[in-house]
Amino acid sequence: MVLISRSFTGFLTQLSSLTHHNAFSVSAAAAAIQKMTRVRVVDNSPQGTTPWHRAPRVIHVYTKNGVGKVGDRVLLAIKGGKKKALIVGHKMPGERMNPRFDSNNVVLIEDNGNPTGTRIKVPLPTHLRKMEGEYSKLLAIASRFV
Amino acid sequence: MRIEKCYFCSGPVYPGHGTMFVRNDCKTFRFCKSKCLKNFKKKRNPRKTRWTKAFRKASGKELTVDNSLEFEKRRNIAVKYKRELWSKTVEAMMKVEGIKRKRQAQFILNRLKKGKQLQKAEDISEVKKNIHLIKAPHADKAKVMEEKMVQKLQEDVEMGDN
Repeated sequence: MVLISRSFTGFLTQLSSLTHHNAFSVSAAAAAIQKMTRVRVVDNSPQGTTPWHRAPRVIHVYTKNGVGKVGDRVLLAIKGGKKKALIVGHKMPGERMNPRFDSNNVVLIEDNGNPTGTRIKVPLPTHLRKMEGEYSKLLAIASRFV
Repeated sequence: MRIEKCYFCSGPVYPGHGTMFVRNDCKTFRFCKSKCLKNFKKKRNPRKTRWTKAFRKASGKELTVDNSLEFEKRRNIAVKYKRELWSKTVEAMMKVEGIKRKRQAQFILNRLKKGKQLQKAEDISEVKKNIHLIKAPHADKAKVMEEKMVQKLQEDVEMGDN
């Protein structure tokens, strides 16, 4: 009984912190992006910007190990549905010459690699440019590189 | 290619050095070394950290307003390439750098002059206070007595004349 009540209080505090929509996760940096990480959708797609009682969460990372870095595809659970996304920045420090971001940023994507939104206001890392072929449309809608 | 400025210490960040952090308001912070990064993460204010250039300029220890420093300011207007302009700019850069260094050095010299004056005054007062270490306090006594006696005799002679 005590266990249930303890987990309940944890759940409630989590709910209260997520009730303001457009709030992105601000916990300490862990091992980049993996399953169950809450991410911040950074484009202007309707799925990413409309409020929901749960933050968009990663449910699958399309890499050999389950860790997602910048440029990796992930599957998100967003607004009660599934959607693919591309990681464009994470809190974990990576390569020395690549920037570290203050939140785990993600851009919603279709299965063929086309972005769902029409504009990305948040700065993207320049080393994403090397995936010119696959995500050229995504890079085209980016307004700033960093 | 551009040599950036470290956000914390205002030192140059050459290509291939340092790290960058992008905050959620899209402001980028460059750091020249991990020392600056660590201090930034500790939320230290560069204007209060004594070894940074920001502190030195904010507390008036270094030259802040000068024409030669205007050249460093970033211009956001693209300039069409012209070879003569390019080579002339390089020459001008070298000259401006020399002038700037001289002016900065002069500023610091002027600032430290006051210290030299104070030091001199202090030294003089110290010597006066501790003159007994150099010369015995009664060393000149005999001489002074002699001079007094001579003066008295002279006065007596004058009195006697009158």
